[in-house]
Amino acid sequence: MIIKHQDKIASAQVIQRQFEALGYICSQSVATAIYLACHLQKPILIEGPPGVGKTELAKITAAYLNAPLIRMQCYEGLDESKALYEWKYGKQLLYTQVLKEQLGDVLRGARGLEESIARLHDFGDIFYSQDFLEPRPLLQALQSEEGAVLLVDEIDKADQEFEAFLLELLSDYQVSIPEIGTVKAKSTPIVMLTSNNTRELGDALKRRCLHLYIPFPDTELENRILAAQVDDLGVLLREQIAQLVTRLRELPLKKSPAVSETIDWARALLLLNVDELDAHWVKETLNLLLKFQEDIDLVEPEITTLLKGLA
Amino acid sequence: MRFIADFIGALREAGLPISPAESLDALNAVSLVGLERRETAKTVLALTLVKRQEDRGVFDTLFGLYFAGLKQPNEPNAKQGNEQKPTDQTNHPQGAQALSKNAQANTEEAQRSDASFGAQASASSALGQSLSQQEDMGLAITQAASAENLSSIVLFTQKNQFVYKIMQRLGDEELREELKSQNQNQTQTLEQSTLLSDLEKRRAQLFEQVTDYVEQQYLIFAKQKGLRFRDQHMQQVKLNQLEQADYQRMQRLVQKAARKLAAQHSHRRLTRKRGVLDVRKTIAANAAFDGALFHTRWKATRVERPKIVVICDVSGSVSRVARFLLLFLYSLQDVIPKVRSFVFASQMIEVTELLQQQQIESALETIMQRWGGMSTDYGKALAGFGSQSLTKLDKKTTVIMLGDARNNQGDGRTDIWQKVYRQSKRVLWLNPEQRSSWDTGDSIMSEYSPWCSSVEPCRNLKDIEGIFSRILKYS
Repeated sequence: MIIKHQDKIASAQVIQRQFEALGYICSQSVATAIYLACHLQKPILIEGPPGVGKTELAKITAAYLNAPLIRMQCYEGLDESKALYEWKYGKQLLYTQVLKEQLGDVLRGARGLEESIARLHDFGDIFYSQDFLEPRPLLQALQSEEGAVLLVDEIDKADQEFEAFLLELLSDYQVSIPEIGTVKAKSTPIVMLTSNNTRELGDALKRRCLHLYIPFPDTELENRILAAQVDDLGVLLREQIAQLVTRLRELPLKKSPAVSETIDWARALLLLNVDELDAHWVKETLNLLLKFQEDIDLVEPEITTLLKGLA
Repeated sequence: MRFIADFIGALREAGLPISPAESLDALNAVSLVGLERRETAKTVLALTLVKRQEDRGVFDTLFGLYFAGLKQPNEPNAKQGNEQKPTDQTNHPQGAQALSKNAQANTEEAQRSDASFGAQASASSALGQSLSQQEDMGLAITQAASAENLSSIVLFTQKNQFVYKIMQRLGDEELREELKSQNQNQTQTLEQSTLLSDLEKRRAQLFEQVTDYVEQQYLIFAKQKGLRFRDQHMQQVKLNQLEQADYQRMQRLVQKAARKLAAQHSHRRLTRKRGVLDVRKTIAANAAFDGALFHTRWKATRVERPKIVVICDVSGSVSRVARFLLLFLYSLQDVIPKVRSFVFASQMIEVTELLQQQQIESALETIMQRWGGMSTDYGKALAGFGSQSLTKLDKKTTVIMLGDARNNQGDGRTDIWQKVYRQSKRVLWLNPEQRSSWDTGDSIMSEYSPWCSSVEPCRNLKDIEGIFSRILKYS
């Protein structure tokens, strides 16, 4: 990765501050991870509950470093023809057509089979060549002249075979295409992998990456995130929202409210002109925060107790 | 850098799988950011070394223990430590500094008392000289400890032995000899006697320092080893002899084993019926190429996840095994979502819903309290199962029965069990007793066994793990 402004990644503190200016509030360990990834040229594996800003981190990093973000969403059944490269079959077909027409010219005057074959050999063979290669996200990232941020999203959703296929890319920043050979990165991309832990990832993959776990933010961090993300939100309300959400996360819910949900909720409350949380409004808007009916049923009777003692 | 390597060693002992490549990463990262700030160092090491969130707790504890011994904030850097290394006489040129806080306090105290101490008299033994010159013994202790291979410590009974050995290596014997001879020397001056008492005091301090160090290292290295040893042992202990006190730990182990299995089998498996072309899909896939067939599409069959009906005898003798079997089964919910569970002593009761609604631990507690410990009647229970749920068995269902087949001389109703066998895909009978005691006393195992696909003893965690591993593999 060519980073034009080395001072941008001078230290973890700089990164943390600058991300904050861009509206992404992060903890020191997140900033350190980015710092190490830039300097050690290592991929980062980001884990954490859904909605804590794993994907967002990649986006903000790309924006901060002025690099293109190449995103690859993983799913079951993803294979190399969708992730790495594909041949442009249609063009290859046309090429053979053209070749057929030109064959007469090429072979004109040749005597005997041997000479014809020799001439065919001299004739450039481009059927399998870069010209007919359709790069998919991984190859795009490697071919990018000035480096890129490659986001492999939800790697846990892909099959185990695919994970194995990524190993070469992650450790050496190169991939092997059987027909062409090894393609090396023009400039090492910054690779980020995210996982929701729906299945345990292989040790080989983990070994090659820095491992960053982003937990739910604490009350104070959440407060700052809200301040950065939702404009015009009253200080009191912000404080209350952050505290209430922290309390909700302590309950045995099926799905705890994530940061993105907190932000949505705060925006909704702002829209409804709520200045201070009360039982009525919480009850009315709870479905923005909790996505399972069981969770709502569990929390609803507790609202007054939960609201007690908020700032 | 040396102590990073030591720290990694300690982490490995604690069960974190750290490869040499990761150690190198850690070293590179540390050299990039330095160790000046403890928080940064911690973050960096965690990023490079801890790859599973479960291990984070262990890492935090060990980091605390390990780095409590390091001076803050002036010379935590090993390189710096080497530069400042006092001209020591112990002939160990390398090593990192690890000095317990206690020892640091001791040294300071010693320095204060030094003010009143005249420098004319001097000790003759090497250790005596170092001590009277207020040298930093932390380094020497670390070196002596590594020479004695302290990190191999396993049992707390070894602690004193190691303290003794380290003291020996530091030159304690010479010092003692000197002290003894000085004591016998009647014609000592005032200076010599102050020197003597001072040396004795210092020696006591040093001894304390070494003891502290050994204790710290024991905490870092041996505690985990001991726990691991215990875990290994518990996997093989008979479940029905398990102490109440070990339940918690056992439950954790069960869940760990189940997680391992779940991880192995979590990806949905597709087997391809090679050779059977899916014509429709193939044509669709190649429409873009003017009908020239570039891609072939093959028919695939999906391997079904197993459907399981588990029936547990919860009468006194079997209830403990039943408890862990159910716990294991429910920890596997990721890979075996369709489980129906029944428990019986004399009545057959379906507990599927109870297990789903409550936390698994408390649900098991309820079950055992309400139905456990009664006398068994297989005939009545099977009759109950026959009328309730026989119709729900199909050819995809695996039936697991856990019981000792001790029927208190009653009618076993094998006819119903025969029907169960006919209707389901497979019937597994798990018996918590060893093979030799089957069919002794009131056990009627041999009456049931013709109607089982397999009958296996199920006595410890290893057995349970093996059984489920096979179910998942061959379903």
